[in-house]
This record gives sequence, C-alpha cells and structure tokens, in this order.
Amino acid sequence: MKFSVFQISRRGDREKNEDRMGYCYTREAGLFLLADGMGGHPEGEVAAQMALQALSAMFQRAARPIINDPAGFLSDAILAAHRQILRYALDRAMDDTPRTTIVAALLQGNTAYWAHCGDSRLYQVRGGQLVTRTRDHSYMEQRLTLAADAKPSAYQNNRNVLFTCLGSPTKPQIDIKGPVELEHGDRLLLCSDGLWGSVDDDVIVHHVGSKPVPTSAPDLVEVALQNAKGTSDNVTVLAIEWESQTEFMPTKTNISTDEIADGGFASTLQVPLGPELAAMDDLDEAAIERSIAEINEAIKRSAARKR
Amino acid sequence: MSKVKPAPLSPDTVIGGYRIIKKVAAGGFGVVYSALDPDGQQVAIKEYLPASLASRGAGELLPQVAPDKLSLYRLGLKSFFEEGRALAQISHPSVVSVMNFFRENETVYMVMNYLEGGSLQDFIITARDLKQQKVFRESTIRSLFDEILRGLRIVHQHKMLHLDIKPANIFITDDNKSVLIDFGAAREVLSKEGNFIRPMYTPGFAAPEMYRRDSAMGPWTDIYAIGACMYACMQGYPPNEAPQRTEKDRIAVALGRLRGIYSDNLIEVVEWCMALDALSRPQSVFALQKELSREGERRYTKLTVGEKVRMQFENIVTDAKKNAKSATGFGVRK
Repeated sequence: MKFSVFQISRRGDREKNEDRMGYCYTREAGLFLLADGMGGHPEGEVAAQMALQALSAMFQRAARPIINDPAGFLSDAILAAHRQILRYALDRAMDDTPRTTIVAALLQGNTAYWAHCGDSRLYQVRGGQLVTRTRDHSYMEQRLTLAADAKPSAYQNNRNVLFTCLGSPTKPQIDIKGPVELEHGDRLLLCSDGLWGSVDDDVIVHHVGSKPVPTSAPDLVEVALQNAKGTSDNVTVLAIEWESQTEFMPTKTNISTDEIADGGFASTLQVPLGPELAAMDDLDEAAIERSIAEINEAIKRSAARKR
Repeated sequence: MSKVKPAPLSPDTVIGGYRIIKKVAAGGFGVVYSALDPDGQQVAIKEYLPASLASRGAGELLPQVAPDKLSLYRLGLKSFFEEGRALAQISHPSVVSVMNFFRENETVYMVMNYLEGGSLQDFIITARDLKQQKVFRESTIRSLFDEILRGLRIVHQHKMLHLDIKPANIFITDDNKSVLIDFGAAREVLSKEGNFIRPMYTPGFAAPEMYRRDSAMGPWTDIYAIGACMYACMQGYPPNEAPQRTEKDRIAVALGRLRGIYSDNLIEVVEWCMALDALSRPQSVFALQKELSREGERRYTKLTVGEKVRMQFENIVTDAKKNAKSATGFGVRK
C-alpha cells in the first residue's frame, strides 16, 4: 500500500485548539482520523484526544494486518470512543460531558471506508472533481438535504448546531460509507469546520485537485485563516493521495507500508496516554513485546532513512 | 514507603549482550549506565527502574515491585516506551539517538549512543565561577542554540514536545556538538496526584502553562525553556520561576543589566521567548531561528549613568528587603 499524507492543524483566533488529527497504519491497512473537540462543553480537547486514541488502539488490535469487517469496525470503534468519553465524565462527576466530532477513513487493498459523526468532513476528489463528501450532522445541512431548494442563508445561523456527536448523553449517530473503490491519484481530505466554514467547497476541491497534498493542505489552511481573519476557528486538515506516482520515493509524507514488517504498526498518535486509556489498554505481556518490536522497527526505519 | 533506592547493576554484568561498565546517572525513572556493545563500542543504557515503585537489593538482577504498585509500574513502563518511540523516529545529530530497545531482568532497557563531554549546566557553573563580565560569549550562545534549535525543530515536526529543556539536558560533546538529551521527562512522569498524571517540570525553565493543567502546551512551551537556558548562559543563574514572575516580574530588569554586554537583539530574543503569555512568544522554532540568525550589525545600547545609578539603588533596596524578610521570618518561600 502506498500513499502520500499530510496533516496540519493551526489555531485560529480561539483561545485553544481543540482539533486533533493523526493516522496509523499496518502493512496493509491505514486509519486516518480527525476530531474537533466541541466548545460550549468542558474539555473538548480531551474528548477529541480520547476519540483518536481509542480508535487508534482498537485499530492496532484489530488490524492483523487488515480489518476483516471495516464497516463494523468503524462503528464499534467510534461507539467505544463515545463510551470512553462518557466514562471519563462519570469518573469525575462532571456536570456536563466533553464532546467531539469525529471523521475516520480506513484504507485497505484498493478500497476505502469512512465514517463520521458531527460536522468534520471528508471530501473525495478525483481528477480535480469532487466525487462526494460527507453530510454534516447539523440542522442546517439536514434541512438543506431535505429541502434542496431552501436558501442556505436562512439557516446559516444554525450551521454550528449539531444534532449528534461523541460524548453527548444520547447515542451518537454514525454515518458509514464504503466500500469505495479507489483509483490511482484519488485524494481524500479530512477537515474540521474551521476549513469548510470559511472556504467554499469548489475552492477546497480546486486546491486538493490541483496540487500534491504536501502543498494543498497547508495552502488551504492558510486560505481559511485569511478568509476568517480575526474570527477564525481552528483549522485542521489531513490530506491523503492514494498510490499516486509510479516513481515513488519514500519520504516523510510518502508512505509505503511495504517497509513495515508483518505484525508491525506505525502511528503518529503518540501523545501520552491518560490513566483512563492506559487502563483500557492495559499492558499485558504481549503488549510489552509488541511495543518493543515496534520501537525496534522504528529504529530500523530511521536508520535506513539516514543511510 | 522505603527510602532506599534500588541498587544499580554491578559492573561487568552482561545484559542483552552489553557489558555494564558503570552507573553514570540515576533519575526518578531509572538508571543510566555506560556499557560496551559486543563490538566493543561504548554505549549508554537506560534501565527502567522507577525508584518510588521498584526495589532491588545490591548484587541482584531482578527488581521487586509490590503488588499494589504494579499498575503504576506498568503505567510508567508505557511512558518509557513513549520515550523510546519518540527517539526512535528521530535521527538528528542534535538529538540523542536510540540504537536498541530490549527486555531483560523483567524490565526494559534502552540503548543510546554514548556521548562524551559535559552538560551545559556544568559549563555554566564553570564559566560563572570565572567571574567575568560575560558568562558566555554571544557568538558561543548563538551557535550553541542554533544547533539545539535544529534538533528541537525535528522533535516538534514529529508532533512531540520535550517539556524539560534545561541546561542539565543539553549535552556539549568533547567535539563541540550540542545534543538534546533525556526525553524521559518529556513524556509524563509518575506522580499520582488526584486522578491524573502530571508532567514534571523544572522551576525556572518551565513555562507558566506547565503549572496549570488546563492550558495548552505547544512548541511555545519548549521555546520558553530555550529562552530560559539562554538567560542562564548570560546571567550564570536560572531565571525566577514562572509563578513568581506572575507576581512580580524581574526578568526585564535583570536582562536590562546585560545591555551593552550582549547585543540588543539577543536580549530581545530572550525576552520574546520568555514572555509569560504563551501567545506572545515565538510560536514555532522556525520563527525563533529566523530571528536568531538575522544577520546584520549587532547593536549595543549601553546603560546611561542615570540607569546605572537607579539599578544600583534598586539592588540596595532589594537586598535590604531580603534581609528584612529573613530577619523577621516573613516571606519565606515554600
């Protein structure tokens, strides 16, 4: 499996950045994640972080090296993340629960599956054209979908009101799509509302479609920050290009999973675990052996890069 | 709780094919040894052996962990793995590199390249005892931090923060390279306070946000520490602790004294890095590098006679206050 990936997150004019992103992969499957912790509730960044770590931990356990039931996995893992957040709030007797959106894309073989809850989006772009994008779980988008002729402006003030997310007391609604067959050069973009809230879809598609991901992702973020100057939300994007070049030079953004040994696992999600997640993923003997194997794997990869 | 530290492995013990020469350091997380690999190359080996959770008798190999501490011990092991993972991904001359990671004696070991030299801390102490006007030359400070920042930039590119940058964690090798070491504290450190794990911090070098749990840490947090290290290289002493600064900030005054000795630009850079407000600092290592490497004539603004007099006066007042405090027993810190 070969892909290029670039992720970037920038704090807008908010006090803190509650967006989180990351990806992990085995030899034959990759999971790409983006979560946007919600304001108006406590500790949005904790919810976002927990969601990503829970999904990544479950992926590491289930991907051996592929996920047998991708749609089932995405739904189970997102629900597990949701329960994890609720438990976190319960343990602390919090008055309100931390909440987050999530969008997750699972790539294996030449197919993609994606799932989302809330208003973080995934765009699929092929040959410079938008193939599809996820539909937000916001009242605005719901009404737009139901009544195609409605004027968006009438509902504009509702764009931030979501009817589902992770961490809320009601069971989250998860939309899953797949299998979607990928073609060489297909691009997927995961983003928080900080991007699509200030950049039109056609501009997003134009950037994604016309440039390699290490260029388009930072450019888009810059456009979003400029457009919303002074009032910008946090802007986070993760862009993937599927098996693009024939001349594939592995670099930091060009990843060939063939370099990973059987049973190997690589992840950008290496932020320290809180006790909740640590407890969830208790280190048993096998986990210790696996960690050591992964570290030595990473040492080998770094050494190979150096040569 | 036993106060006895776990005993280090004895010299000539062989673990994972490496022969221990001697213990070179011990911290909260474990012990660092110098050792020889099978080819006779010298390496540094870090052993996971948290002093508060594990015990080991002299001459023994296996650490003992009380059953009630086992879960914390495992949690700490995770942090140790995090350090290994972090370092494994990075290969840069200014960042200590990890060469191997293995399990033995019911604990884990991290093998790193062995560095010969001394810590920046040692150099500062030696330099300041010479009682010269300058602790380090400006060009020395600039080139030293230029190297460290190159390494730190790579660390940040890997979405990691060091979180315990201080002169003791900057190593100057005998061939004059500076290397960022000890990423163990970078992760999180065991201290079961309430229900969460707190990052460890070193007073003087830790940014204000390290003291608060809710606030966002980022590259700017490490950048504060870099500023504090530069400050220490100029003054010979660490700056005041961040919480103390929030009450009464004397950094600007202290740096003011260095005018004419160090260039205005360098003094401004340190002040910029050490801004109490995280947003007022350089937001990325790149931004700081750009400012630090700015070519051009260095400007030195000497102190005026009036300023010097006022400063001296201030010294007398501060000293008087200090004396009054110690005499009355008031204002005792911690």
